[in-house]
Amino acid sequence: MSRINDVGGMVGFPPIVEEPDEPAFHADWEAHVVALNAAMIRRGVYNLDEFRDAIERIPPDQYLAASYYEKWLRAITTLLAEKGVVTPAELAGA
Amino acid sequence: MSTTHDDAPLAAQVRHLEAVLEERGWLAPGEIDERLDAFAAGGSPAHGAAIVARAWIDPDFRARLLADASAAIGELGFSMGGALQEQELIVVANDADEHHVVVCTLCSCYPIALLGPSPSWYKSEAYRSRVVRDPRGVLGELGLELPASTRITVWDASAESRYLVLPRRPEGTDDLTEAELAGLVTRKGLIGTAAV
Amino acid sequence: MPDHPDRFAPGDPVRTRITDPPGHTRLPRYARGARGVIVSTAGHHPLADERARGLPSAPRAVHHVRFAARDLFGEGDHAVVVELWEDYLEPDEERSSR
Repeated sequence: MSRINDVGGMVGFPPIVEEPDEPAFHADWEAHVVALNAAMIRRGVYNLDEFRDAIERIPPDQYLAASYYEKWLRAITTLLAEKGVVTPAELAGA
Repeated sequence: MSTTHDDAPLAAQVRHLEAVLEERGWLAPGEIDERLDAFAAGGSPAHGAAIVARAWIDPDFRARLLADASAAIGELGFSMGGALQEQELIVVANDADEHHVVVCTLCSCYPIALLGPSPSWYKSEAYRSRVVRDPRGVLGELGLELPASTRITVWDASAESRYLVLPRRPEGTDDLTEAELAGLVTRKGLIGTAAV
Repeated sequence: MPDHPDRFAPGDPVRTRITDPPGHTRLPRYARGARGVIVSTAGHHPLADERARGLPSAPRAVHHVRFAARDLFGEGDHAVVVELWEDYLEPDEERSSR
């Protein structure tokens, strides 16, 4: 389905911004998100396509406002809740 | 690396999530740290540069690389095996008539296992939306002006292949060693948004 | 005989499907309902659409399909190669019968 991720050919996005000497990650938590996602996929909690699907299901306004790894974190928490791995209350820290 | 003021809540959320998962047995103690160490020791643009330099000096390797890149990079000790799903590497070679550039319009597919994480601009909606429609304009914006006679082919990584561009060897580099040649190759060159 | 024998080979003219299935898919919107040519086969893989729904999925051919920019956007002199599962493709009868 044409979701917000399907941007190929669209017009109106801003100029492309390059960051000189960009590090692999901008903060430790971003690397942790990548590691966490890899751990869940290798454990079979969900697969890579389910993960992509969860990113695509983020509402368009929030998708565009979120940073790259924020989207990842949101997709991970969505899937963990949907798969019954953690409850929403646990996710919220209750 | 540091956690900035702005994303402190996100960092806290990740720590909390890891703690809950570990408590419930979904993460082994130390598992995240092991994966972080594996990333740090994993893909790097230098691997791509080494592949390009070898292809420039060894025509037989170049032929094997273009025919079956996933196998050929094994000759240099590299592999596509670290990915989360089965992936094949495809190498596309620039020449005087045709220039290649890579994108993933649907998400951010990139040969991470080989090259490490992609740059932020590669993952941006701005790049993903525009390069398929106006590659010449986007390349110009990124500093690469191609002759009008050069045809451009954009590769959209929409399935299980991951792409690496083999840039043209610059003029006047006949005397350089393989290591010096590798030093000329940039990450942008491997994506196709720079000449080399 | 495999579950999904290859339906296309390099050189075949194809048309991408127009339908927009519910849920995850890997046929980009800009390449929907477009005419292209198979340039090579990119292995055999389970369909992403089915895997994203947690369904079992047998491997079937994935192809590199070359499109002229003009056939995608009505303008441009470049080409775009998109990697597409066979499920997204139909033979382009008009061109293959010539």
